[in-house]
Amino acid sequence: MVSQTLSAGQNLELENRPLLTVKNVSKRFGSFYALQNISLTVPEKTIALLIGPNGSGKTTLINCISGVYWPDEGQILFDGKDITGMHVHDIVKMGLVRSFQVPAPFKKMSVAENLLVCGQGNPGENFVSSLNRRAWRTFEKESVERMFKVLKTVGLEDKVDTLAGELSGGQLKLLELGRLLMLNPKMMLLDEPIGGVNPVLANSILSHIINIRDQFGTSFLIVEHRLDIVMKYVDYVYVLSKGNLIASGTPPEIVERRELYDVYLA
Amino acid sequence: MFLIDLIMDIIAFFCIYAIITLSLNFQQGYTGIFNLGLYFPIIVGAIITAYLPGRLAMIIYGLDPKLDFSANNALVLSILRTKLSSDPLTSILLLTLTLATVALVCYFIGFLSSYPALKLPADYLALFMLCAGESLRVIGMQTDWLAGGVMGITIVNPFWWLGGYSYYGIASFTIISTILIALLYHRLCESPLGRLLKSIRENELTAESVGKDVNSVKRKTLAFSFMILGLAGVLHAFLMGAVVVGGYTRVDFSFWPWLMMIIGGTGNNIGVFLGTFSLVIMRRIMIVGKHYFWFLPFNVVWFEPILLAIMLMVTLVFRPEGILPERSPKIKDYLRKVLKLES
Amino acid sequence: MVPLPILLTAIVYSFILSLLAMGFTLQYITLSVPNLAYATIAFASTYLTLTFSLMNLSPYVAMPFGFLLGGAISFILYKFVAFLRNRGTSIVGLMMATIVFDLIIYAGMNIYADYLAYVFKLYAGSFSLSEFDFKIFSLPAVLFVSGLTSVGLVAFFTLMLVKTKFGVAMRAVMENYSLASVHGINTERILSIAWFFVGGIAGLSGSLYPIWFAMDPWVGARMFISIFAACVIGGLRSIYGSLLGGFIIAFSEVVVTYFLSLYFPWIWAYRAVTSMVIAAFALVEMPSGIAGLIEKLRRG
Repeated sequence: MVSQTLSAGQNLELENRPLLTVKNVSKRFGSFYALQNISLTVPEKTIALLIGPNGSGKTTLINCISGVYWPDEGQILFDGKDITGMHVHDIVKMGLVRSFQVPAPFKKMSVAENLLVCGQGNPGENFVSSLNRRAWRTFEKESVERMFKVLKTVGLEDKVDTLAGELSGGQLKLLELGRLLMLNPKMMLLDEPIGGVNPVLANSILSHIINIRDQFGTSFLIVEHRLDIVMKYVDYVYVLSKGNLIASGTPPEIVERRELYDVYLA
Repeated sequence: MFLIDLIMDIIAFFCIYAIITLSLNFQQGYTGIFNLGLYFPIIVGAIITAYLPGRLAMIIYGLDPKLDFSANNALVLSILRTKLSSDPLTSILLLTLTLATVALVCYFIGFLSSYPALKLPADYLALFMLCAGESLRVIGMQTDWLAGGVMGITIVNPFWWLGGYSYYGIASFTIISTILIALLYHRLCESPLGRLLKSIRENELTAESVGKDVNSVKRKTLAFSFMILGLAGVLHAFLMGAVVVGGYTRVDFSFWPWLMMIIGGTGNNIGVFLGTFSLVIMRRIMIVGKHYFWFLPFNVVWFEPILLAIMLMVTLVFRPEGILPERSPKIKDYLRKVLKLES
Repeated sequence: MVPLPILLTAIVYSFILSLLAMGFTLQYITLSVPNLAYATIAFASTYLTLTFSLMNLSPYVAMPFGFLLGGAISFILYKFVAFLRNRGTSIVGLMMATIVFDLIIYAGMNIYADYLAYVFKLYAGSFSLSEFDFKIFSLPAVLFVSGLTSVGLVAFFTLMLVKTKFGVAMRAVMENYSLASVHGINTERILSIAWFFVGGIAGLSGSLYPIWFAMDPWVGARMFISIFAACVIGGLRSIYGSLLGGFIIAFSEVVVTYFLSLYFPWIWAYRAVTSMVIAAFALVEMPSGIAGLIEKLRRG
């Protein structure tokens, strides 16, 4: 666990280069501003946390970064490239992936299929080369091996043939994570990865996240409500309220600032 | 002899409907594109078959350019029949050229129509295709020089060189083509592409979020199945020996295949065969049986849509998933059969 | 200049089409299901008009009966679709349910046409009742009747939406079905009445159609294309957009095609198809239709 001692209110010292940079992003729906002038940075090998009461715009921000929405103003840079206005699948190919607050698996497909479909650049997914089994057999074999490793990491090995629609809530969260692992990304945007999950499993998931960061150098931007559990795992915190970024700092700094609690109660 | 003819007839029509329903299953059962205008590319195939081979043959044999295939249909056909009966090579050439042209044109049309179609929500996309099909039917019925307008047009038979067995020729060709197309679809669906299509059907946003260009895949799926549907149109036209565009109705070529797919169970190609088979038999029986209803003051052919409606209603209310369920392969089986591994 | 018969055709057609487009959109908004049987419901009533004319009555007698027939069929259809919807049937299944009705009515129409041919020894494959019409100011009465009916119905509908409790409730249901039911609005009753009313309008429009136009069993299918185009141009979820779209499509089908036919005489037969082409282009260039354009302009 990385802890950084910084003076209050100072931006995260960038010993690692910035991987995701959000610059002055605004998003409105009709006349309603869901996000106003948001700027934040997530460096490499860092776990950042985005918190705020319901309706503060957290998921909207994730949607803007991942390409589901396009910001009305501002810019988003990832790995040195401007990804503002790019399509979701192109952003994914650059190594930036996201999970969903309400898990969205492929219900009538098995866990194995849910994971295998995440393989990038599978020649078997091309109309022409799919007809020639030899063209994709090797890729599939490797994909299957990866899949078993991922299943082991998230602990779903015995569910490999279960239909995703039959999994429990916690297992679906694990599957969401597993999908992202298959994608081998540079950064993951996790929207409430431990929402509705029992504390033991929650801590387990978060430990996995730490391991992934340490092993693969992956960065994370996590949206979470359960501050009691998640605070000790993250490196930096951003606080959102009513579409505005009202505070940022290390976990100790944020915890100290009593006035932020009022935001949740307001 | 009559029995063999009857059996061949049933099998040939089963084949045509199998191709159509397989294509529907590919589009909708696998990929989730709800399309009510299946008959659109089928009509394209039929129209091209009405227009092209006859005129090509006229050019090849140097017929008098003042003769028009459509306006002088009977005369031209009798000349061509004499020529083609002793010329299997040209016959096969005509057949191949027609199939190739239809495949290309329909692929292109499928690709093109996906641009406006994919901008619509799912329900309106289905409607768009339905209207496109209906429009083409209107065009076909109004335009005499294309495919004989309302009355239709008799066409060249690429198997005249088989003499008295020309019907068996075209029927066998249809059966072989169907087997090939079924194998093609089987290969596609059993590959990672099939998995990709199903994922799009299940949740488009999630599929996008794992890096799949959903619109591009849907576009190609539409284009591909349009191509195959066009081929079905060609085969149907040659089987009938004539093209009457008015006969390609949405009921016969869109709604019946839909019922066939649903009854068999979506996302399941074997189910498609089951559904198609049972319904084709049923309809054939009806055609024979309607002679018993001569006393009714109206044409008994109108019982068919009512029967279809009742069957649809029953299926929707009681068994929407169909007879055969969709199977998800167990990973061990997948490894063994597809990847030829022992895990 | 446009010859008078062409202009009159365009006007009558636009009244009928815009009403139909508006009704179709209304049904779509309320249940999120496009009603594929809509055109067939509308044109089933043409046979009522035919029947009354054959009995030597004025074709306009059919109007209230057309309204009732269309309303009744639409009401039953609503019940069926709502039943399936409550069981969780997908949108695909719900559309197939409307197709079920479309098939039954389509078969029914044709059976009736056959029966009429049998009884009256006439060819009901194609008929037109313009000879049964009377004249007002030396113009066919159907012009005024369709215009008055159309304007009257739209005015009535708008007033109802804005001024009556029922209308307000209906607007709530259209905006947000679940929220409305939570607020104690009897959504089932509202929708049943709404669908009856819309079906009635369809039947009414249909009953007027053969008084001007030639009728055959495939008019419904061709009109469906035009209705679809009108709704797409107007904006899929906009009632008044579809109304406007109906006028645009009707006029372009009749007037524009007339002008084109001066240079390309063959184009007159393809009127319905031109709407399809327009709709396809509209979809690519302005997917949210005219209503969407107006929204964008309003937001500045």
